[in-house]
Formats: sequence, C-alpha cells, structure tokens
Amino acid sequence: MKAENRQITLQTENLDVGYAVPGKTDSFTRRAISVSAVRGEIIALIGPNGIGKSTLLKTLAGLIPKVTGQILVNGSPAGDYNPDQLSRLLSFVSTEKPMVPQMTVAELVAYGRFPYTGWLGTLKKEDHLRVREAISKVGITHLSGNMINEISDGERQRAMIARALAQDTPLIILDEPTAFLDISNTYAIFHLLHELARKEQKTIILSTHDLHLALQKMDKLWIMLDTATLEGAPEDAILRGWLQHLFPDDKVGFNASKGEFFFRYKPAGSLAVEGGGKAYTMTVKALERKGYQVTRFSGEKSYISVKEGIKSTAPSWELTGQESRMVFHSIYDLVSEL
Amino acid sequence: MEKSINPFSARNRLLFAGLAFLLAFFFFLDIMLGSVLYPVAEVLQTLFSPEGSDPTLSTILFDFRIPKAITAILAGVALSVSGLQMQTIFRNPLAGPYVLGISSGASLAVALFAMGFPGLVAGSLAWTGTWTVAIVAWMGSFLVMLLVLAVSARVNDNMTLLILGMLFSSGVGALVTILQYYSNESVLKSFIVWTMGSLGSITGTQLLVVAPAVIAGVLLSFVKIKDLNAFLLGETYARSLGVRINRSRLVIFAGASLLAGTITAFCGPIGFIGIAAPHLARVLFRSSNHLILVPASLLVGADVMLVSDMLSQLPGLNSTLPINSVTALLGIPVVIWMIVRNRKFASL
Repeated sequence: MKAENRQITLQTENLDVGYAVPGKTDSFTRRAISVSAVRGEIIALIGPNGIGKSTLLKTLAGLIPKVTGQILVNGSPAGDYNPDQLSRLLSFVSTEKPMVPQMTVAELVAYGRFPYTGWLGTLKKEDHLRVREAISKVGITHLSGNMINEISDGERQRAMIARALAQDTPLIILDEPTAFLDISNTYAIFHLLHELARKEQKTIILSTHDLHLALQKMDKLWIMLDTATLEGAPEDAILRGWLQHLFPDDKVGFNASKGEFFFRYKPAGSLAVEGGGKAYTMTVKALERKGYQVTRFSGEKSYISVKEGIKSTAPSWELTGQESRMVFHSIYDLVSEL
Repeated sequence: MEKSINPFSARNRLLFAGLAFLLAFFFFLDIMLGSVLYPVAEVLQTLFSPEGSDPTLSTILFDFRIPKAITAILAGVALSVSGLQMQTIFRNPLAGPYVLGISSGASLAVALFAMGFPGLVAGSLAWTGTWTVAIVAWMGSFLVMLLVLAVSARVNDNMTLLILGMLFSSGVGALVTILQYYSNESVLKSFIVWTMGSLGSITGTQLLVVAPAVIAGVLLSFVKIKDLNAFLLGETYARSLGVRINRSRLVIFAGASLLAGTITAFCGPIGFIGIAAPHLARVLFRSSNHLILVPASLLVGADVMLVSDMLSQLPGLNSTLPINSVTALLGIPVVIWMIVRNRKFASL
C-alpha cells in the first residue's frame, strides 16, 4: 500500500488510561500509550490479565473518559465528536453476553442501525438492507428469526459482530471476542474478522489471549506491558523479543526461529531417534514434551527407531537399549516406558 | 427477514385490537357493577341522554362509577409504564414502579403529616383522595425522586442504584413503623387504610390533575422508547450506540416518578400491577421492543386494573375489598406462573 493511501483511523499520543480507585489516592493508570491503526488493518491488543486491555479499548471507544493525552479518530480529537457522530465512526463489541428475552437475532443486529434511525427507531428500507447484509456477511442468515438466548455462544458472537457491521463504522473495537468460544469457533471468528478487514477495509482492533492466532492473523500487535505499550508487526515483536515480556517467569519460552511457544522443562536427558515422515515428527514432539533433548540417530547404543506405516500398516516404534529391544504400537506406550 | 424485525406483525396488531376491545368492555362492565345493580338499558340511556333519567343513577354513574373506572385505567397505565421503564433500566425482572422508594417516600410523608397534624386528619377514616393527603404524599415521593436523581447523576452503575433504592425503602419503612408505634389508634387505622389503596375516592376535579400528569408521563416514555431499547443491551452498548446515558436516565426516572408518584399520592400505594403487567405484555407480544412494550404494558395494565376494581367490589359484598390486596392476589400468581413457565425469566 502506498504511503499516501494509508489513512490513519485511530491514533493515540501519550495517552494515559485508567480509573480512580475509590478510597485510594493513586488510581489505576497505564501511562504514555502511543499507538496507531491504519484503515484495513486488523490489530490485536495483547498483554497479561489485569494489565488494562479492557480499560484501553473502552477508553478508545469513548465509553470511559481518558486520563490525559490525545486520541485521534480519523485525524480529529475524539472529544470533538458528539456521541451521535462517534457512534457512526466506531462500534464496540464487549465481553458482555446480551441475554434479552424475546429478542431475535435480526432485532439484535438491527440495533446497529440505532445511530441512523429516527426518534422511534423505525427501520427504513436502507436499514433493513444493511441488517440483512451484515447478517449474511457473518454467515448466520438461517438464524435471523431465532431468539438470541436460544443460540450458541459462537452464533451469538457472530450476531454481535453483525450488529457492529450494521452500525457501518470504519472502526470496530472488540474486547476479547473469542473469550467464551471453543477452538473451532475461535478460528472461525478470527478468520471472519480478518476477511472483514481485507474486503471491507474496516479497521479492526481486538484484545485476545490467543497469541498463536494473533501471530498468524494480525497485521499489527499492540503489546501492553507494565513498563510500556509497544506496537509492531507480529514478526517485529518476535525479532525484538517483546513476547518474552509476556512470560516473566521461566516456565514458558518463545522460540523465535519457529515463532512458537514452548514449556521449559528440566532436561530429562538426550535421546537419539531415527526415521522419517509424520510419525517421526510426532515422536520428536512427544519426546520434547517429556523434556528430552532429541538428536538424530548416529550410531548411539540406545536409540528409538520409528517405522512409518506403509499403506495400511500402522507405524511402530522400536526402542533399542543397552541389552534390550522393545516394540511399541503407539507414541503413548513408547513414552510411558521411558 | 423483515418479518423477524417488524414489531407490528399481524399477530401483534390483533393483540392490540383485542386488548383495546377488552378495555372498552371492562370499562363498561366496571360501571355496571356496584352495590346496586341497574338494568343495562337503563345505564345506557343514562349514559347517552342523561336528561330525564333517574337522578340517583345519574349521580352514581357520573360522580362515582365513571371517575372510579377512569382512575382505574389511569392507575393501571401509570404503574405498568413506570414499572416497565424500571425493569428495563435496571435489567431486573423484579423491579417495579416502587423500586426507587417512591411509595415509601409517600408513606413516610403521610405518616409524618398524620403524626404532626393529627387534628387535620383525625375523624376521617378515608384519607385517600383528600387533597391534603394527596399533596403530602406527592411531596414525599417528589423528594425521594429528587434524592434518587441526585444520586443517579453521580452513580454510574445501575446495580448500585437498585441496591441503594431498596436499602432506602427498607430504611424509610423502619421509620414509618416507629411512627406507627407511637400513633394513637384512630390515626393508625387511617394510615393503614391509606396503605391499602383505593380507587374510589378520587373526585372529578382531582382527575383533572391526575389525568394530565399520567398523560405527560406516558408521553415522556414514548419520547424515550429508542433509548429504552438501547438500555436493554446494557449501558456499555447503549453508550456505544450514542445514547447520552445520564441525561436519558434522568428523563426516564423523572417520567416514571411522575407516573408512580401521582397515582400513589391519590390512590395510595398499589402493588404488583407495575411488576406483572410488563411481563404479561412481553409474553403476549413476544417482543422486547419498547415500541410494542410501552403501549402493550399500558393496555394490559389498564385492563388488569379494571378487573381488579371489579373484583374488589363483587356484587353481594356490602363493602369493597382493599385494592392493594386484590392486585397482589391477582399479580403474584401471574409472576409465579411466568417464573415457572419461562425459566429464562430471570435473565432480563
């Protein structure tokens, strides 16, 4: 994208966010946050629990007042917009599950048209069209007439995203959109949001604890730490070792070359393995999980030989020790023996 | 898809028509029934050409039964609309018109007044509907309203407000009990009769005050229909949709207090209609949209109040039953039935 096409949707300059804690002189604040979001980008805000991710997102969405500093929405200070104007620039999806009885999915999504309707909230043709589009974009058209407290969490989260889409704002902020969801729904929601950023040129900012997905799918990470809030591409974060800050103790580490997290164990010893293919890869994975340092077989006295299954035969494992030789038919049995 | 959003479906229009018909029917039935039963033809003739008809019947109809039936309608409308607003704002199914302490404020004012000026009220058992007591009760609920509004401007959290309102009610209730303990028998009896509520003591002139107040309160609720809908999703979403929370809540509270305060002032505290009617409306119309729920609750409330009034003066009974007991006995089973039938009830 050429530089002149880069339209900054949201930017903060030396922003302090927080709230007063009653009865205490020093309130909770996170200081000097300077981050930005460009049109069409999907950004994940990551950081440990309780660091203030929700507080930052709510401050950006204008739901709680900032402490000091500057928030620019589409280049103008957020405070220059009145609530109506802001609701057409920015929509918010919170962690709250709306459990209103007697409300259909379509009615919930139609809430997105709130900033555009008259004093009775009656929907016009254009509004119905937008609602229908939004519902179909998140793939729940078949649920339009269902009551929102009778659908699954994943479906309801899609409906909430459709509601934000119907609000027709260039910027969508989501506070932990996948918090209640299982893995497949989490992937589906990330994929959906990614698509929306690409195809609809929406700026999407979300908070998540799913680092693995954030590293794969995000254009940018905002990493919120005690000391500072950093921003950059996921790969920048890996290269500069920022992610290590998320794990202050030494139980978990980050493998910069693989871009993966691992658990640190006391080494249980080293083991030589011979073989190839998928069965070999999985065997190495299992041994590493058990804390072994795995080496390629090169004439050691004791080693594991992986025999990959050919066609219909299942793979098998041969453990050769100083004096013994044992055959196993699953990785589980093999590592149990070690 | 429009079908799943359209609030005025054929079914709902039919329901509205049905409730409106019931309202007219119950109104007529209510003015037919009383300690003396007149033939339908005679009542109709007196209604439409009062000249030359029985002057006693004319007096009974125009001075007693019609004002009472109109009062019943106004009370039903006012209490159910303010109850609906409180349930929505607090997202709590057990909230009602009195959740912010309006009735306890009125009770305290009336109790204090009766203790302080026993001469003004002594000797008459029926305080309800007298201008003095109405004004005192209204002042009591108005003061409570101001207090609640002042607090709500500072407290951002609705749950906190709800708890404060309940605590406030309990505290005031304790004060009223102390006052009762030190009252003499006749004042005590009059006070207890007042707390039982009555629709029958409102005069035509007083209706000229009550009716405009109720109409104003209902109009205010219509103005805030859109915001009420937004409050259903919770404050965070309401704010993100552009609702100015504090300002909007202030207007809704003022309207609800005007409605509940006026009825309490002139009829005494009347319970359960304000809690049960909005729930009945939700179940009947299967909607959460206030564009439906406000007019629906208003009609259901008026209908139920007319029925309650008829039950309180069943033919064969020489005197009327306290209206507050009738509405409670009618309202409580409805609420219980809805809780048992619909387990998601508690999630509002």
